[in-house]
Amino acid sequence: MPDGLLPGVRVLDVGQGISGPYCAKILAQMGAEVIKVEPPEGDSARRMGPFPGDSPHPEKSGLFLATNANKQGITLDLSSSDGAAAFRKLAAGADIVIENPPPDALEGHGLGYESLKNTNPGLVFTSITPFGNRGPYKDFKATDLVLYHMSGHAHGMLGAVKDPDSDPPIRAGGHQAELVGGMAAATATLMALYRKRMTGQGSRIDISSFEAMVTQLISGLANSAYGRPAPPRDLAKVEEAAIGGMVGAIGGILLCNDGYVAISPREDAQWERWLQVMGGPPWATDERYATRDARQRNSPSLWKLLSDWSINHSKHEIARMGQEQRVPCFPVNTVQDLLSDEHLAHRGFFVEMEHPVAGVLRYPGAAYRFSNSQLPLTERPAPMLGEHNREILDSLA
Amino acid sequence: MSELPLHGIRVLDLSWIIAGPTATRFLASMGAEVIKVGSARRPDPSTRGPAFQAYNQSKLYASLNISTPEGLALVKQLIAVSDVVIENFAAGVIERLGLGYDVVRVARPDIIMLASSGTGHSGPHKDHVAYGSLLQHYTGWNSISGYPEREPVTGGLWADPWVGMELAMVTAAALNHRAVTGQGQYVDFSMAEALSASIPEAILDYQMNGRVKEPLGNRDDWYAPHGVYHCAGADRWVAIAVTSDAEWVSLCQLMQRPDLAADSLYGGAAGRRDHQDHLDAVITEWTMQHEDHVAMQLLQQAGVPSGPSQDILRVFNEPQLREAGYFTELHTNGGGLRDLPGLPWRLDGGPEPYLTEAPVLGQHNAYVYQEMLGLPALEVDRMIVDQIIY
Repeated sequence: MPDGLLPGVRVLDVGQGISGPYCAKILAQMGAEVIKVEPPEGDSARRMGPFPGDSPHPEKSGLFLATNANKQGITLDLSSSDGAAAFRKLAAGADIVIENPPPDALEGHGLGYESLKNTNPGLVFTSITPFGNRGPYKDFKATDLVLYHMSGHAHGMLGAVKDPDSDPPIRAGGHQAELVGGMAAATATLMALYRKRMTGQGSRIDISSFEAMVTQLISGLANSAYGRPAPPRDLAKVEEAAIGGMVGAIGGILLCNDGYVAISPREDAQWERWLQVMGGPPWATDERYATRDARQRNSPSLWKLLSDWSINHSKHEIARMGQEQRVPCFPVNTVQDLLSDEHLAHRGFFVEMEHPVAGVLRYPGAAYRFSNSQLPLTERPAPMLGEHNREILDSLA
Repeated sequence: MSELPLHGIRVLDLSWIIAGPTATRFLASMGAEVIKVGSARRPDPSTRGPAFQAYNQSKLYASLNISTPEGLALVKQLIAVSDVVIENFAAGVIERLGLGYDVVRVARPDIIMLASSGTGHSGPHKDHVAYGSLLQHYTGWNSISGYPEREPVTGGLWADPWVGMELAMVTAAALNHRAVTGQGQYVDFSMAEALSASIPEAILDYQMNGRVKEPLGNRDDWYAPHGVYHCAGADRWVAIAVTSDAEWVSLCQLMQRPDLAADSLYGGAAGRRDHQDHLDAVITEWTMQHEDHVAMQLLQQAGVPSGPSQDILRVFNEPQLREAGYFTELHTNGGGLRDLPGLPWRLDGGPEPYLTEAPVLGQHNAYVYQEMLGLPALEVDRMIVDQIIY
């Protein structure tokens, strides 16, 4: 059995939804022993899709299954004295407790950090909330949508804005802000755990998911600190590419006969090789496209020429021809493409697990491989509600 | 006074541009001594402009031309006294420079070596030329983002900052492992896989329902109303997410539309979802009467999750960040006093993060080569002249 990087590290995951459980999922796939503590009615993520046939079922939520793999699960009513006592016993032997209130703050049950550290001074206690425990918004409610927009990310998603007055800034799919909050929490928690190993000191870590999202845009914040204006969000109005922006001569997407391909032949040498991919078109020597600056100035007419060519090819064909010439380009993939991608298959990125109710599914694995440690990515599927109650709670008695 | 968590850890930072420097910024701010190594021969492209000030806070910066034999020998000496080495060149480049893991671990057997590339260091596409913005397309990340039934969105600076934080997280995990076992690691990191791992809903939806997920704009599969609504003023918007029936009733009361709250048609999320075009129009009538921050305050007082959709300059001036102490005023190299960003976490009652201005190339040569490695000053001077320390 692979034991990962954190064998013997005990984690109590009291979180619900995404940010807290995702933090604990990271620790579980690194090899920590994670016990998920759910209220009797279950984690709210059990009520979030996708579900097979779009029919809600507490053991079949794709989101829950992915976010809680490799954890054990118990149910506790923390508002009851028995439940609180059991939690207190578990916390006394834990290295890490993770919560993401509301709705259920440990503090409200007399189980906050100050209380738990009396019996466990080395405890690392991590609390994730939308805005942290500080500042004027500390009690505000936010969701993934709200955090993505407030933090500036939606204005940076350059889309085909038709009418700026009726096309709002746009969010990313999935639950990116919740994940970033959870990853920030895992990062700080692992650093605090290291400090505990070195010094014996515990920590209470406070995470603001809003600040975690904002911290993804520190280059933009630095631009603001130097008095630069915010870039426009209408793709057509962007003159100079911000870092990461695919505009003008930097790059963009081309319509193919089966979808899109994303290309970025931004350097002159890359551009020369891209022209070879296109078979040396007659306009290649046109001075309007001879230099990067010229291509930037004339990018609308240039992209028209590129699209007239790309529409006759498939996205994978163009990506393959481009990469053969060392041109940065990739197909615009759907999740269907991903599941059959030969590169990801070769690296064993997707992992398969069988869940007693939800059945056999392939889950995205980890982005990292360690030379000296195997990660326990398929140790167990997400726990059924109360699955390990007997095993874990009986051992406390 | 307690020490920061990574006190005593030394990181040799061979990385550049965004992802690697972002990772080492986190490590440096949490107490590691980060030595960024670069060369005037091939400057870090992010050296230009204000972004460098953010990405390279809290680090030391030594110059070294590792493409020379003496430079390569010197970098091995630095590795020998480091705990972590990080690089984010294209796959295969670090090996061609003569600094593959087999070499690095000879210099320091328990080294933790992080290697991050676009598509990882194995597999048929490991040599693909990649940028973060392209990987957002390759990984399916952009396929579920954007306006419904329009061409895919481009951009959004996402891949590199995400990977930067994840690399810092992975480093912390490996340091914990080393603390117990004494073992180092080589970490093969794929930026593409980091993004594909962040869209499990769509990947499982496809397997469960055979459905290829399309962008929903600002809407949600389940919750409604769920959108971004025009406020008073040009390009001013507020995001509102109603996640329960109670929040729906509160929203109706705030908009003085008790008729909607009482209408059984909208009594559950499914009913509200079926009529969201209509409800969105009703909500816009209300939001258009308010400034975006005022709308947020009113909505939050009513218990409805909400907040303005802001550009980066408004984020920079956001009262929440200002009052929560997120920024630190720093003297920058050549740039005067600037408010620069901090960290998204606090150790309550613990040490403050270590945040300094970004260095300039070669600023810490004397410390690194003379104090740390103990080279004689004359020898360092010679290597400067010979364009090895360069």
